Amino acid sequence: MTNNPIVKGKLVCVALNDSDQFEAMQAEFSEAPYKSAPTQPVLYFKPHNTWSTEGAEVEWAVTEGQPAEEMVVGASLAVVFGKECCRVSPEEALDYVGGYTLVHDFSLPEKSYYRPDIKGKCLDGSAPIGGSVVPASDIADPQALTVVTKVNGEVVNEMPMTRSVRGVAELISTISYIMTLQPGEVIAVAFPGQRASVSKGDKVTSEIAGVVSLNNQLGQ
Amino acid sequence: MKHARVLFNGSELDVTVEENGQLKSKTDGQLINEAEVTWLSPVKEPGTIFALGLNYADHARELAFEPPKEPLVFLKGTNTLTGNKQNAYRPDNIEFQHYECELVAVIGKEGKNISREDAMDYIAGYTVCNDFAIRDYLENYYRPNLRVKSRDSLLPIGPWLIDKEDVGDISDLKVTTHVNGELTQDGTTADIIFDVPFLVEYLSNIMTLKPGDMIATGTPEGLKDMQPGDTVVCEIEKIGALTTYIVSEQEFYGDKY
Repeated sequence: MTNNPIVKGKLVCVALNDSDQFEAMQAEFSEAPYKSAPTQPVLYFKPHNTWSTEGAEVEWAVTEGQPAEEMVVGASLAVVFGKECCRVSPEEALDYVGGYTLVHDFSLPEKSYYRPDIKGKCLDGSAPIGGSVVPASDIADPQALTVVTKVNGEVVNEMPMTRSVRGVAELISTISYIMTLQPGEVIAVAFPGQRASVSKGDKVTSEIAGVVSLNNQLGQ
Repeated sequence: MKHARVLFNGSELDVTVEENGQLKSKTDGQLINEAEVTWLSPVKEPGTIFALGLNYADHARELAFEPPKEPLVFLKGTNTLTGNKQNAYRPDNIEFQHYECELVAVIGKEGKNISREDAMDYIAGYTVCNDFAIRDYLENYYRPNLRVKSRDSLLPIGPWLIDKEDVGDISDLKVTTHVNGELTQDGTTADIIFDVPFLVEYLSNIMTLKPGDMIATGTPEGLKDMQPGDTVVCEIEKIGALTTYIVSEQEFYGDKY
């Protein structure tokens, strides 16, 4: 486990924010246990034991004493708060962003969104954050960014922010009415709905072209 | 020994709580009266806050759920923490907000894959929390969702952290809540489904537990709606009594409302 110098306090992740996935799941949303589609952003925490860094090896998960059969990864654009953010409007939300970075969320496969997925999401070192924080002043419009993820050099996912159900400013506003965010706290705003399957030893690289990249390798 | 953190003359201070209720500075031994301080969360560097849903047999029945076969664990942000005798807010335009009086075990030593037998070696002590919930905001996604359970001020905790040796057996402690002096929740930790040693083993099989991590162990039956102006006291035998004042959203946020 490696401490991360970027994130302090909390790392909030937004699930089900890929509109392709959201549309594809409409029938499932109307059935048990969900019964209806989410009306609010679907949020989860990656707690402090998960925080890791650029270049770090990510431990292969062990569940109930056995190596996990499968792990997946999603990459997201992430905002790092530059100042305290409490109950802000979408119009002013981006003023609170200190910078932008990337988050890799390594986990067990996402089988259900019904209960908090502690077993799948809270694995030690499963949330590398980085490689750097790009100052907000360098990013004119976060909605214009695309995160591309490669496994062993092959593109497995592309997530343009234009495909998100909710954009960066709206999410910051909505979340800031639930919880006050402090400088150094991070929100990972939009993972691709289809997580990429990974194997032991795989190299995972995510990049916003010309802006920031994050490189990790799965352990054995 | 009871360990607390308070604001005194504008500074954060680590204190112990003496037999007579006086506070004693850990820095210079100065004795301070409770009336002169503001209580803070007793855990100086809070880590991961785990909370349990449906972990009392009687409460699971009250909510018409089968008792779970596996713990229902959710996480809470540190923005939720506040101290004893502080304000917590009721959001505008909701129908039902209830308290949840809970025993909290605080981790004192880092560990992974801890066995049930060794689990208590990793506990520093205990405190009391009030894990408020707003039922209007429940949705069936990562339920109980962050909008219900990770709001500012809605996890009062304290007044102090008491060393585990001073409490001893925690398997049958009275758990009570009084609202405006009226007894509204009256249970015992004997009804806990997944106990502290089980939870330490379960969680540490998933992830490394670290000092400052907290496990809020769930609440017994006895739910009641809260309104601004209410005073809620959550008490656990041998551990302490935690008082919270309910205020409106506007009063809580003031200029930021």
